[in-house]
Amino acid sequence: MNLNRFETLRETMAVTFGIEAGRINANTTQNQVPEWDSIAHLNLMLALEDAFNLRLTVKEIQRLTSVPEILRHLDDTCSSK
Amino acid sequence: MKSSAETVSAALRASSRTAVKELLCDNLTLSLTDVLKLTRHLRGLGGEGKPLRLAILRTYSCELLAPHFEFHSLLAGLDMELHLAPFGVLYEEQGAGLEQFRPDVVLLFLRWEDLDPRLGLAPTRTPEPDFDGLKAAAVTKLEAIAIGLRRSVKGLIVLTLLPPLMQPGLGQHDAMSPGSEGSLRAGIKRALAARLRENLPSVLFDDLDELVAEVGRNAMFDRRLWYSSRSPFSVAGAQALARRLITYPVLLKTPRVKVIALDADNTLWGGVVGEEGLTGIALGPDFPGSAFVAFQKRLLDYQARGVLLALCTKNNPADVLEVLRKHPHQQLREQHFAGLRMNWASKIENLKALAAELNLGLDAFLFVDDSPHECALVKQQLPEVRVQQTPAAPEEIPACLERIPALEVISLTREDLERTAMYVQNRQRQESGGRSGDLGQYLQSLQMVMTVCWDEPSHMGRIAQLTQKTNQFNLTTRRYSDAEIQLMMGDADWLVADFALKDVFGESGIVGVALVKGLHSSLSEIDTFLMSCRVIGREAESAFLKAVLDELARRGAHRVRAEYLATSKNVLVQNFWPDHGFQALDGTHYELDLSNPVASSHCHIQVEIAGSPSRERPPGAASRPPAPGSPAEPGSVFTSMP
Repeated sequence: MNLNRFETLRETMAVTFGIEAGRINANTTQNQVPEWDSIAHLNLMLALEDAFNLRLTVKEIQRLTSVPEILRHLDDTCSSK
Repeated sequence: MKSSAETVSAALRASSRTAVKELLCDNLTLSLTDVLKLTRHLRGLGGEGKPLRLAILRTYSCELLAPHFEFHSLLAGLDMELHLAPFGVLYEEQGAGLEQFRPDVVLLFLRWEDLDPRLGLAPTRTPEPDFDGLKAAAVTKLEAIAIGLRRSVKGLIVLTLLPPLMQPGLGQHDAMSPGSEGSLRAGIKRALAARLRENLPSVLFDDLDELVAEVGRNAMFDRRLWYSSRSPFSVAGAQALARRLITYPVLLKTPRVKVIALDADNTLWGGVVGEEGLTGIALGPDFPGSAFVAFQKRLLDYQARGVLLALCTKNNPADVLEVLRKHPHQQLREQHFAGLRMNWASKIENLKALAAELNLGLDAFLFVDDSPHECALVKQQLPEVRVQQTPAAPEEIPACLERIPALEVISLTREDLERTAMYVQNRQRQESGGRSGDLGQYLQSLQMVMTVCWDEPSHMGRIAQLTQKTNQFNLTTRRYSDAEIQLMMGDADWLVADFALKDVFGESGIVGVALVKGLHSSLSEIDTFLMSCRVIGREAESAFLKAVLDELARRGAHRVRAEYLATSKNVLVQNFWPDHGFQALDGTHYELDLSNPVASSHCHIQVEIAGSPSRERPPGAASRPPAPGSPAEPGSVFTSMP
């Protein structure tokens, strides 16, 4: 796991959801975080696009509902980071 | 220029809302993360903000707008409480929730197809397009929504329609087609605005098509969000939208800018006129002069919104006046400025003097200057004055005031359009009064013409307003409503007299009122005698009194009784009756025997009685009451200054 990438993701999630970063770990999924509702999910995706300089499709937005899924997607798409 | 990341991190370290706002005043598009971080920072700075209750009603998803509205509220010094009504629910069904929330402002986010399903399709695909019917149906539907809302909401209501996310069905050919979507929508918008102006004065329509023109359709919308969650706006679009619509709460809750106080050198033109001279400054068709010409034209647009312009420059007056009077490309001439300060005193002193001269608070001022030192000094010494430093690049100057919500207007009246002229006339009168030592000579030079009207129904509103607002030149300070004035006009025992004054500088509108009762008896009583402070010092009161007394005598009165009821404000007129030949009966009551008319000193004013030909009237002078639409129309012009 790319630790820098995980830290950036964790901070982005914390800011977007308005929660402590400590509540997020490498295995967190959407249904474990009450603040991660459907609106917060869209906000998270928009924030990730900016933080990682990428563009997601609707299908990807619908699929990336857990930290492992997001990290895998980042590994696949931003290999240089 | 600092990068966006540097600006944001500086803002995140700033220790006051004002400081954050100043750092972010540029046209900066922030990432969502930045918006959220800055919002948290602003909230943490603690609140001197004014409370704002904002309700959003919508037929499409607006949840993603919430953080941007919160951010822009905080930036504008407002502490927002947001009520996001349930998705898709409108007016009648809204029920108690909205009513209980008691919003200051309600924003309505509607789609065209909510007004009529046919508007969701390209009109060319509608069989037998009936544009007039469609337009009428759409306007009626929107009006019904507004009326329904108005029943449960007291605040300001702002209607919006979601602009099309895609180009017209006919593509580039749309404008050429008789079934043009663009012109159909434009027609509906125009008819809607007219209906709202007439019937629902505090319901406004905000045209988001204008925002799309500014931001661009592809940048404004995020089609992924639209197709997956009915949320149309991109992050940049949501920010632009919140920035635009927060204007309404800002105008409701914070002071409007009423005066733009302008520096001259390197603000209105390039270069320093005192050094480079009339021909040396940059002002004309070539860059950078072209940018300054454009800025001056834009300043005239602000003036047309009702904002006054003032000049506040450290210069020799002769140098600046030469530009104002003689430069061929100068757009702002002397008559465009409500106040002129051309001297070497500090801008602080000059701003204070302008505030006193224009009778406005410093919080009504926007100070515009290219000098960072002057801007910093004003910010520090006069924190209530808003300050805009002009951008260093001339091409950025013409649009540099566009992001200031306090310069926007919610409504525009005839008074707004003519406000500057009124201030300039006053200034010119004062200046020429100051120049000529002899008052009589000065008054003569004004070539004043007074028009007196009796019981003129179209003046009712203005007459009532004058009784309600006039304090200084008011002998009895009795306040009357429109309805009471109307009753007096219809009562043969009463005489309702008013006058308007015209001089070489312009028309004053209706500025004086006398109400007399007891016309049936030989003893008439002057119930009310007042005059607007704008015409004090021109002997108009004496001319008007004489006209009224002559009329009373003509109607058979032998004696006239009058009163002076002292208040804290009307000491100015404590000797008015004795000065005009009235005998004091006691401290309050005075009487005049009309068989001994007194000579008065108002020979500088030509008096015309409406409806009767004036004996002294020179050829061509009007003797009728001012036509509708003229400045003397009741309630239209000069309504804010008694």
